[in-house]
This record gives sequence, C-alpha cells and structure tokens, in this order.
Amino acid sequence: MIQPSEIEAELLAFLRRDIFSPETNLTADTDLVAAGFDSMSLVKLLLHVETKYGRWIPESEITNEALASVHTLAATAAKVLNEK
Amino acid sequence: MKNDLRLNGSDQLMRGFDYEMRRHGFAGNQCQIILELAGKIPPEILQNRLGELQKEFPMLNGRVGGIFKPKWKIPAGIKKEISVRVHRDEANLRQKLFNEPLRAKRGELVRFDLIERAGGKTDLIFTWAHMLMDATAAEHFLAAVSDEKNKLPKTNPQPPGAPKKWPERLELMKKSVAQLDKFCENQPRSLKTCHPNAPRELQFRVEKFSSEETKTIRANGARLCGILGDAQLHAAVSALELHRLHQKLGCATESYIVPMPVGLRPKGRVEPLFSNQVDMLMLQFLPEQLDSVEKTVAALKAQTAQALRENSISYGRKLSELFGFLPLPTYIKVLKHGFKGEICSLFFGDTAAVNPRLENFFGVAVENFTHVAAVTPAPGLGVIFYYFRGELRVTVVHAKTVLNDDEAANFSAAIRNRLLNP
Repeated sequence: MIQPSEIEAELLAFLRRDIFSPETNLTADTDLVAAGFDSMSLVKLLLHVETKYGRWIPESEITNEALASVHTLAATAAKVLNEK
Repeated sequence: MKNDLRLNGSDQLMRGFDYEMRRHGFAGNQCQIILELAGKIPPEILQNRLGELQKEFPMLNGRVGGIFKPKWKIPAGIKKEISVRVHRDEANLRQKLFNEPLRAKRGELVRFDLIERAGGKTDLIFTWAHMLMDATAAEHFLAAVSDEKNKLPKTNPQPPGAPKKWPERLELMKKSVAQLDKFCENQPRSLKTCHPNAPRELQFRVEKFSSEETKTIRANGARLCGILGDAQLHAAVSALELHRLHQKLGCATESYIVPMPVGLRPKGRVEPLFSNQVDMLMLQFLPEQLDSVEKTVAALKAQTAQALRENSISYGRKLSELFGFLPLPTYIKVLKHGFKGEICSLFFGDTAAVNPRLENFFGVAVENFTHVAAVTPAPGLGVIFYYFRGELRVTVVHAKTVLNDDEAANFSAAIRNRLLNP
C-alpha cells in the first residue's frame, strides 16, 4: 500500500526538478494549472509515475479536481496505484 | 551579456529556414505580432523607449558572424536605431509589410510599423527575425517596450545542448537517422512538392472565436484529449483537415509530418529572452489514422508518450547544434535529406495564452492581437493557435501558389468547424 504522503513528496520533488523553475514557490497546495502546468508536463509526470511505481495512470482519472494541487494529484495517484 | 553569444540548436534551425526562404525569394524566417490599438501612440515615444532598450540590450543590433562556429556578434553600443515607420491605411498594406524582408545581415532584427486607421485607431506591427527569439520571448519583449516596469531578464541560460563526447554524438545521429528512416517508410509529400511552382509571397488569414465558442472548443479538447488537451486537439484537427485538403487537391502522400513545438522554459520563468527555447515533437500521421478526430488523437497521444520515453523530442535541435558548423546551403541540404526532400507537411504553432501584459500598450487598450509567422517554401502552409483575452485565434499562413484565396478560406473554415464539432 503506497501512502498518498509518499507520492506527494515524490511528485513535489519531480515537479521542482523537471517542470517548474527554481524561482517558483511550489508547495503541496499550489494550483498547478495556474502556475503553468500544461499537457506536456502532465505526460511527463505520468511517465515518471509509471517509471517509479510501475503503473500508468489513465488520463481519464486526471480531472480538474485532481489537478487542483499536488496534494489532490497525489491522492488520485495513490487511489489508482493501490487498486488491485 | 557577452559580446559573442552562441546560437543554440533551435536558433540554428531558424537560421537555416531563413536561408531556405530567402533562397526561394521569400522575405525570410520572420514573425509578426499585430496589436490593434483603440487609440494613437506618438511614434517618437515608441522610438525613445526602443532606444532605451537598445542601450540595455545591444543584442537587438546583433549580427551572425563566424564561418564554422556561428555566433551572435553583439555591438558594444547602438549601431542603428530600430526602425519605426508610420503608414496611412491602405489595401494590402499588411500583406506587403509581412512580405518585406528584415535586413538581418545589417543588424536589423526587429522593426515596428504603425498604421493609422479610421476613428483615431492604430495598428502596431512588430516584426522580428525568428533566429533572434521565439514567440513567447517576443511577447515578453513587447510587454517591456510597452511599460518599463516590465523588466527583462539579463541572463540568457541555454537548454541542454548536444552531447560533447563522440560516442554519444554518434549514438544520437544513429537514433535520429533511424527515426527519419522510419518516417520515410511512408514517404511524406507536402502540398508544395505536389505543386512545384515558385511562390514568393505569403498570405495569412485569421479565424477568431468568441468566448462562448472557445469554451465549447476547450470542452471538446477535455472530452477527446483529456484535461489540458487543447493543444492536442488543435494539432489533431489541423492534421485531419490537412488530409482532407490533400484529398481535395489531389495531392497524394503516404503520410503527414506535423512538428509540434514543445517549450523548453521551466514553468514560471521568463528567461532566456534572445534565443529560441523550443524543441520539436515530430508527429507522423498515416491516412487511415485521419478518419476521425478520435483516431487522430489516439495516434498523437501514442507518439507523444513514445517520444518522451525514448527522449527523442530533442533529436532535431541537438543535431542542428552539432551541424551548425556547416555552410548554410549544405546545412539545409542535410536537413532536407533526412526526409528525402521534405521538411514537414504543415507548420504547426501553439503559443497558448497571450501575455496578459499585452492587453494594453503604452496605456492604450489593445482591441485585438494577432500572431503571424512565415512558413518554409515546402510545405508552404502553417497554422498558429493562441488565446487572446481567453478567446481562441487561429492564423493560417500559406504561400500564394500553394493555395488560392478560396482554398485557404475553405481550409480555415474547415478547421473552425472541426474544432467546434469534432
């Protein structure tokens, strides 16, 4: 069972390193879309999750609500990854 | 900024295209932003502001020098004032200005034209050489022209370039050749190649969508491509309608190559300013994948994920950097050799939302905004998508002899209809 908090930390590190500039103050509550997160960023993130956890999150699971913040995104990812 | 500045791989590509366009009698690889202003701007105020920016950024008068290692040669001070010209409105003036070359070899990399319109309104046309900067940087530059509070970054960091070690370079070349060979198993043939006249003039038209229509298109994007899927829907619809156009014009091709630009700036960063920060995701569509938007989107998504897995998006940019030492005629031959004479089937651009700081210019309201860019002789056709004040715009650019006015209007209308009713 993967904890959402573990995924949240992993996603935050990935987004800070590979997507956002160091000047962006990215926290678990940052509105990702407002900060410039786009479709290519999303595919990169999904690939990172697949590489790290061995499972592709279907894009249908990524809703507006899921993208509201890293926190909600991690919760969505945890839900899919923990499904049998 | 140093007095010499290396061109990155994307700048090299843009410089190569500039050579190719001029060789065919076009103005060159230059872009425009057109601001339709609600009032007047005294040209001397604009000239003064540009003078201040020239002092701060002598790069604006830079010239490309060096035979085997091309670099920007940046003068120590102002060599020549940036041109600001005032025109009275007349028929075909905008097309004429779009087709008027910048004298890049003499350090003219940007130009401003003011067109006085009826009712005290003005159109401002900002033209720039694409090898100097991409559209995102141009928007930031124009925002800084408009208001000195919009500071421009001083630094110019570059994205990771080609590998330094020869074994890695050879591996990159091998992979790139394999990718192009795979594309050529279904040889693309562009409209220009099918109609080999000698076009010397580009034309453009703009499709405007209301905010209601834009909402509908965004909803279509989310439904068909997933959340944040607007750009994917734009690319898929463009490819699909290109296929219809080929069919209508009787131009047979085994596949279509649509390069989708991918921004390299980390999110939340303005810099670097005077360079192109774009990679190209080369998408190939087979005719059977262009039956419906759903099938096209599926093909697009599969290729995007594959390209990210293989890290193949940056092949072209990195190779351009490696081959930057070649004289331009040889460089462009190498570039075209990969696709057996083609560059692509359609130029596609998606600059997303226009910088909100450009909703007014020198305090004057901007009533409308247009992005225009030149397209290479083959394919001689391009589409650019962008949002101004939340409303979608699509600029269709074409060479006069590739499409006539009716064909261009029909292509443009077909994209509109398909976006609204995919």
